Amino acid sequence: MADGNPYREDEVVEEEEEIDETSYKAVKDAVLFAIDVSESMLAPRPSTDSKKSIQESPTTAALKCAYNFMQQRIISNPHDMMGVLLYGTQASKFYDEDESSRGDLSYPNCYLFTDLDIPSAQEVKDLRALVDDEGEARDILVPSEELVSMANVLFCANQIFTSKAPNFVSRRLFIVTDNDNPHGADKALRSAATVRAKDLYDLGVSIELFPIARPDHEFENSKFYDDIIYKTSPNDPEAPAYLLSDSKSSTAAGDGISLLNSLLSSINSRTVPRRSHFTNMPLELGPNLRISVSGYILFKRQEPARNSFIWLGGEKPEIAKGITTQIADDSTRTIEKWEIRKAYKFGGDQVTFAPEEQKALRDFGEPVIRIIGFKPLSALPFWANIKHPHFIYPSEEDYVGSTRVFSALHQTLLREKKMALVWFIARKAAGPVLGAMMAGEEKVDENGVQKYPPGMWILPLPFADDIRQNPETSLNVAPEPLIDHMRVIIQQLQLPKASYEPLKYPNPSLQWHYRILQALALDEDLPEKPEDKTIPKYRQIDKRAGEYVINWADELEKQYAKISAATPQPTSTLVKRGAKDFDDEPSKSSKKVKAEESYESVEQDVRNHYKTNTLSKLTVAVLKSFLTSQGLSNVGKKADLVERVEEFLESK
Amino acid sequence: MAEKEATVYIVDCGRSMGERRNGRSVTDLEWAMQYVWDRITGTVATGRKTALVGVVGLRTDDTFNELDDDPEFSRISVLSGLKQFLMEDIRQLGEQIKPSNTNKGDAISALVLAIQMIITQCKKLKYKRRIVLVTDGQGPMSSENLDQITKKIKEDNIELIILGPDFDDPEYGVKEEDKDPRKAENEALLRSLAEDCDGAYGTLEQAVAELEMPRVKNTRIMATFKGFLQLGDAEKYDTAVRIPVERYYRTYSAKPPSASQFALRSDLAEGQTQSSATVAGNEESQTDGSSLTTIRNLRTYQITDETAPGGKRDVEREDLAKGYEYGRTAVHIDETDANITTLETRAAIELVGFIQSDHYDRYMHMSTTNMIIAQRANDKASLALSSFIHALFELECYAVARLVMKENKAPTMVLLAPSIEPDYECLLEAQLPYAEDVRTYRFPPLDRVITVSGKVVTQHRNLPNDDLLDAMDQYVKSMELNDTDENGEPTESLPIDDSFSPVLHRIDAAIRHRATHPKEPVPPPAKILTRFSHPSEDLVERSKKCLDKLIEASDIKKVPPKVKGRKRTREAEKPLSGLDVDALLHQEKRHKISPNNAIPEFKQTLSQAENIDTIKEAVQQMGAIIEDQVKHSLGDANYDRVNEGLGTMREELISYEEPALYNDFLKRLKDRLLKEELGGDRRELWWLIRRSKLGLIDRVQSDRSEVTEEEAQAFMSAKWVV
Repeated sequence: MADGNPYREDEVVEEEEEIDETSYKAVKDAVLFAIDVSESMLAPRPSTDSKKSIQESPTTAALKCAYNFMQQRIISNPHDMMGVLLYGTQASKFYDEDESSRGDLSYPNCYLFTDLDIPSAQEVKDLRALVDDEGEARDILVPSEELVSMANVLFCANQIFTSKAPNFVSRRLFIVTDNDNPHGADKALRSAATVRAKDLYDLGVSIELFPIARPDHEFENSKFYDDIIYKTSPNDPEAPAYLLSDSKSSTAAGDGISLLNSLLSSINSRTVPRRSHFTNMPLELGPNLRISVSGYILFKRQEPARNSFIWLGGEKPEIAKGITTQIADDSTRTIEKWEIRKAYKFGGDQVTFAPEEQKALRDFGEPVIRIIGFKPLSALPFWANIKHPHFIYPSEEDYVGSTRVFSALHQTLLREKKMALVWFIARKAAGPVLGAMMAGEEKVDENGVQKYPPGMWILPLPFADDIRQNPETSLNVAPEPLIDHMRVIIQQLQLPKASYEPLKYPNPSLQWHYRILQALALDEDLPEKPEDKTIPKYRQIDKRAGEYVINWADELEKQYAKISAATPQPTSTLVKRGAKDFDDEPSKSSKKVKAEESYESVEQDVRNHYKTNTLSKLTVAVLKSFLTSQGLSNVGKKADLVERVEEFLESK
Repeated sequence: MAEKEATVYIVDCGRSMGERRNGRSVTDLEWAMQYVWDRITGTVATGRKTALVGVVGLRTDDTFNELDDDPEFSRISVLSGLKQFLMEDIRQLGEQIKPSNTNKGDAISALVLAIQMIITQCKKLKYKRRIVLVTDGQGPMSSENLDQITKKIKEDNIELIILGPDFDDPEYGVKEEDKDPRKAENEALLRSLAEDCDGAYGTLEQAVAELEMPRVKNTRIMATFKGFLQLGDAEKYDTAVRIPVERYYRTYSAKPPSASQFALRSDLAEGQTQSSATVAGNEESQTDGSSLTTIRNLRTYQITDETAPGGKRDVEREDLAKGYEYGRTAVHIDETDANITTLETRAAIELVGFIQSDHYDRYMHMSTTNMIIAQRANDKASLALSSFIHALFELECYAVARLVMKENKAPTMVLLAPSIEPDYECLLEAQLPYAEDVRTYRFPPLDRVITVSGKVVTQHRNLPNDDLLDAMDQYVKSMELNDTDENGEPTESLPIDDSFSPVLHRIDAAIRHRATHPKEPVPPPAKILTRFSHPSEDLVERSKKCLDKLIEASDIKKVPPKVKGRKRTREAEKPLSGLDVDALLHQEKRHKISPNNAIPEFKQTLSQAENIDTIKEAVQQMGAIIEDQVKHSLGDANYDRVNEGLGTMREELISYEEPALYNDFLKRLKDRLLKEELGGDRRELWWLIRRSKLGLIDRVQSDRSEVTEEEAQAFMSAKWVV
């Protein structure tokens, strides 16, 4: 393809991601939020924190979550759908029906605010308006005086899923409500709702409940919702009931902010439906002992969607869909897939194999995870890594008893701090890899919501072919005093809890990319400055470690003086800018060895020439060296370099 | 650039080479050629123009060389002068190399010729010069002027390698019994020659055996980043530290050779269709002489246009602008603003903070790893970095850093770990996940079971009992890998250096084999490639007892494949409360499947069916609904629904063991689609059904089916016409 995407340039095409060869279904997810609008849902919850005067009602909290969810999904799941259905509202709206239409309403007191679809910019805007309680939104969030029938709400959802998201592998209905018993003792309404819930189950829609406790009343699932929600998810029989009922405690807290936070955390953890990378894979512990496991990818680099071609000839810009056909070079005849032969270039010619032979070359047997022995965890070097890990979890589908055996292995490996070395074939055509299989503990966040699941991780190891040689370099081992100074600096700058928390670091370029697109799509002003949490906290670094850095730098000078006295060759470098007695003498051998040029003197040189407007008198090497030291690109002709340097110094 | 190379292979083709000796299944010549072919194809595979190969035949029937007037040089043929070897040369050589009818021809003369070839080609230029002589040592050899030859070889820095079948090699443990005295004499001569030239002398057995050992390609070392490791902002604070560093790959996935796509030449293929659309990119070089032609990718662009037939319209590439999707909204970006969505960054490795190494979960590594060293030839930088490395090591810390490789490239979060070896120090680097890269799929705990009511249970069929835990513990201990290093010392490390990429070396070997033996089947993968596919025999032996105990304690039962799908006997799914919803459904009395709730009602009808007629009736109703959806589909509007309906029907009827009902319906549907009875041209729908693998249910999928796999395949075959 001709369209160059800046993010994909150096990316190697990976032929993986979720693939389920057996399914006829589209690997897509559709989420419909069903948000209860009632007097109690609209009642603002007071904030316990007196500094924050924001009052949050359960409905607005739910809408905020939906809005947040929508924005996230545009980035993370650009092909997945979502919708927002309000129920219990005075107003009703369902496709072309509303109060003004003639005849009876199909779904009274159901207001389809955002139709189930991939969100459009306008829908993002509308939902935000509703969240901010602007304009027309005010008129929608009015509770009905009539009782809304849950059967009707569920069937309404059914119809939305049936028509808008047919054949999706995952369809989920998120119900946010504080009413644990909408129909009380009314048997007829209850059983109608139960039947409609079963319909949804059979349709393959799973209901996920986000219950909200009322200030005076805990939410009790058993009153009504236990009849509505199923033990297993219709599409993921492995998904356990535990996950469906655990939200009880998380949303119980009374005040508005914590309500919003716990709801956010609860909904965030379900942003993506579970999709397995492989299912019912045999895990062979030894000859004649196999259990079955399913595999998932829990860490995967999220990239911005590629750029596309846009048709501007219509009323609105429209994405043009590219279609690739393959043609024979000699006759421009269209080639069907089955006609394609694979050949390897060799010695200026092609070496061909029959399709079966070609297939056989990659075939090293049926997919399997086979343990070939155990090792202490400490035997796994830091560098022995090739890509993201696979997560595996037991399944009872092929071997009854898999879970307990897996659990026993999991506990043993955790306790003994060991890992298994495994021969791992993920798919029939996938080449085998040698993997380190280690046990991972369950981790939960401050709201008690699971962050990392318990299970086993398979880390693909590099082969001998994948290891690169160390470049030659001279070694100068730092003497103790210098190390002592550095140690203090490191101790001063520990991250919170002395650990890395991925959730604290959103990808800045990804976020910026979509932030700009959002502004362009909504015709808003472009944001000035990106929010980038990956930028180090400079002020803190200076405050906490500044003094120690100076000590270290002084020591470095001393130690360096010692070794340079021992070796006659004068080498110099900038290590620390602006330190007291740093070498500002020009490098004596700068012409001989480029690498030995002092960055400090280069910088001074460049600045002087800039002041006298004689930058072009400097050599290309000096200009390049200066640009590199500023983290700027150093490619191009001399004129380009000069221009870039000027631009940079002007901005100072 | 890799160094230029010139290698001349002298291959003994004498009559005696055509014999099979010492119980071998191949002739000596075939055996020798295993080695020679491997070397030559290894060179060809690099595709380098500067790696030259020449081949001299020794003891050939004819004489063909530049000194062929001289009787000393008779029976020696230059089969190929020094040049870049190509497929054509391989083919030619394959035809020329066969045992001759003579045993005459002097190996030493051939050596002189080879030296001459190298001198002519390489002159005084920088070349890696090499002569490989493979002979059985049965021919006549004159020892005249040997010292001059030796001198010349050493002078020109030519590497001499001499190999032969059954050459005695006490080191490798080969000694031929009852050796022909002439051969023994020749062997002695060749050995002393090789030794005098500082060359190598060996027995062919060893050389061929070592071919199995995959050769790891060394890649040129190149820095992927040269810049600064920074702590703090040097522009604002004079307490900032900047250490000049360089970054290199530590691991990088070696990719197997990739195949290109070709098609049979059009004059050989039947049927031609012309396409008039414009041709874009991806052109591959023309194949010469073979029956294949390259394939090009043709890209066309479509937009939705409700007025056009099929609802889509082609647009020209030139009329399109660039942009992105935001949700389903197209966002157009002006050429001049092309970089508007790019985050501005400066190249650097900036330290963000430090973490305790035991607080890090090793499975968070997202990528290949890199290494960072101080700028080369910069002692101060190296001293500074060393203090950083040692301090991290002593504190058992890792550093978290923000890496920007080039100006305006996206930043990545990386983890830096110290690495200290006796003669090498560096930082190791691995990429960390961002918030967006973490998928929070949740799973129940493994050491306890939480029931629906929220009760925690510690004894359960899904939890191991003490026996099982104990057996597992013993088994894991018994399967401990005790690897040894090259000196036989036990080592803690993983056998990474002995593991070779199976796919890479398999394909590489297959290509080279196919190139030299085009008519033979591809040999199986070398044993060394599958060395780690199973636990070693002695480990299995050692742990046998523990495994038996573990198997007993595990009590694993394989689920018979048939039971998996069977639904008739299965319990209906119930909600959390366990309420019998089916009973409620019974009361509702849904007689007819309603089109707007078809899938649930179809499933429910089946689950309540008491006889086959009810199932048939349900399938018929469902079929009518599906056909109706097809008929009324505007373009492809209903196709996904149709697909879902068909898929559900197929799945359900497999579970209810009534495949024939589905198969009959699908045959009818196909027939009606063909005859365009369901709203005109529905080819696209049939294509979708094919792609979704919704064909006939065959015997493999249901043993009640009477359709064979072949029949099912033929039914769905590419051709639209039956």
